[in-house]
Amino acid sequence: MIEVGNGNSDAAPVVLVANRGEIAVRIIAAARRIGASPVLAASAADSDSPAARLADRVIVIGPAQAGQSYLRPELIATAALQAGAAVVHPGYGFLSEQPELAELLERENIAFAGPRPETLRAVGDKSSARKVAVAAGVPVAPAVEIDDVEAAAGLGESIGYPLLIKAVFGGGGRGIRLVKDAGELARLAPQAAAEAQAAFGNGALYLERFYPAARHVEVQVFGDGEGRAQIFGDRDCSVQRRHQKLIEECPAPGLSAATRAVLHDASRALVQALAYRGAGTVEFLVDTESEAVVFLEVNARIQVEHPVTEEAYGIDLVAAQLRLALGWDPELPDVPPVPPATVIELRINAEDPENDFRPSPGTISQVRWPTGPGIRVDTQLESGYRFPPFYDSLMAKLIVRAHSRDAAVAAARSAAETVVIDGVTTTLPLHEFVLSHPDFIRGGVTTSWFGPTWENRSEQRMESVR
Amino acid sequence: MTDNTTPSWQHLLDLVTQLDSGSYDSAFVAYGNISVQLSRSGALAAPVATAPAPAPAPAPASTSPAATSPEPSETIIPSPMIGVFYRCPSPGAPPFVELGARVEPDTTVGIVEVMKLMNPVTAGVDGTLTSFLVKDNEQVEYGQALAVVSEVGTP
Repeated sequence: MIEVGNGNSDAAPVVLVANRGEIAVRIIAAARRIGASPVLAASAADSDSPAARLADRVIVIGPAQAGQSYLRPELIATAALQAGAAVVHPGYGFLSEQPELAELLERENIAFAGPRPETLRAVGDKSSARKVAVAAGVPVAPAVEIDDVEAAAGLGESIGYPLLIKAVFGGGGRGIRLVKDAGELARLAPQAAAEAQAAFGNGALYLERFYPAARHVEVQVFGDGEGRAQIFGDRDCSVQRRHQKLIEECPAPGLSAATRAVLHDASRALVQALAYRGAGTVEFLVDTESEAVVFLEVNARIQVEHPVTEEAYGIDLVAAQLRLALGWDPELPDVPPVPPATVIELRINAEDPENDFRPSPGTISQVRWPTGPGIRVDTQLESGYRFPPFYDSLMAKLIVRAHSRDAAVAAARSAAETVVIDGVTTTLPLHEFVLSHPDFIRGGVTTSWFGPTWENRSEQRMESVR
Repeated sequence: MTDNTTPSWQHLLDLVTQLDSGSYDSAFVAYGNISVQLSRSGALAAPVATAPAPAPAPAPASTSPAATSPEPSETIIPSPMIGVFYRCPSPGAPPFVELGARVEPDTTVGIVEVMKLMNPVTAGVDGTLTSFLVKDNEQVEYGQALAVVSEVGTP
């Protein structure tokens, strides 16, 4: 039987959802919102998932292992053809920033809900992303490329210590070393070069200034693909453990108007320089000592924490991505740099925070969410769901909005206390800990705050008992 | 919940994932009173008791009945990937196998095309190819049943 697909202009356009978990549920909802028909590309492990049941159709693309399913561009493109898709939404992770999928789809005349392949390449590696940023006038950390590993120690003074050795072709936090002085630099540079050669096929290194007390602040952007840029405020994502974000909020608390202007203007310049298409995030470090702003990277996709921005401004970024990809008006308003509310997101993971954040997949026997003003839950969980061990541990995002930051922190804490997830161990206790901690309540903690604060909490507890 | 002799459900899942990503055609792992059998061809031996244990349990009911069955049994050939199924090496050429033909585990019964890449599908078992469950040139998904092979059990 031959199905009439995208040739029929009266039919609802088909959106192929090339992802899983909570973001698949989120994209399906956005597709419905714009009147499109969501079809899910799922691995065999997810063919009966809650997202699968919400979709109009499920296409099984491969076995459970992501390497043989969600990470294969040719399988996603084949599924898009079988679905008669007008657009493919890649979500985050997996293939969302791989130019190969965008190119395969381009060849088949199927839209990709993301930036153009050449944009993905331009911002995809550290060195080229940095060049693009410098060219657009975006502030970057003082850095110098190493030509001769043996002479590296001589370059350190121009940056200042402590500094970072980074691999030009590294990524994902790999290939980075912290160096305290010239002696350490001389000793570690040859090692780092050999390691980068082995890991990335290229031993090129550079030195970059290290900011020991910095916040992670990022700016939500949306480009029309022709040079027009819209800015949707900023987010603070400084509560992190080993570079994994745990809590995000919009707006970033306690930024001066001048710092905020630097962040937003730099992001706008970057979007315009790239003629960026769709939703993206420009990430920065904000040094708490000097208030210096330093470009980190561009995340050329929708991000996990996009709901805080959506709730703060009352917009639907995922629907806007789909609308733009379909050639429609994204219907996004122009908004002020600071939203009229504060929104906090808690990532609830299937991990045991008392045991070094060990993954804890299993069957969810019961799940119950809080309700009330300003509460949103993005999740794929339902009672009886078997949380699979094959993928990442994100179970749900609890998003809470209130009129002020103090009210948002209190509301988030109260909402977190009401969550019931039985059957597996979750990271909920850490949220109750952070939301009650004076440092977080004050606002503006640095990225190195959570790790030691969490590790030392039991000692503090012992102290207080004595 | 876990002691030294009983692997947890998580251990078993890890094991299965690990074995599945390897190149094994079949595998048998026993630990304590737990044993795990995996086979890509669908031909599983009846579970073997590893301890002085109760009588061997019957093989799980599935598309791959135990090889000890005396009657001819049927095995489904699943699609190894999403794509388009072809019975012939090229348009107009005779099919790889005719209905009723004998097949061996490595006999090619068709191909699945993914973005111009041709992936052979092999029978996986000895027997007679009794039916195709999808048409030539039809879109298939991963794991979809493509054909049935009737095996002749050991008398």
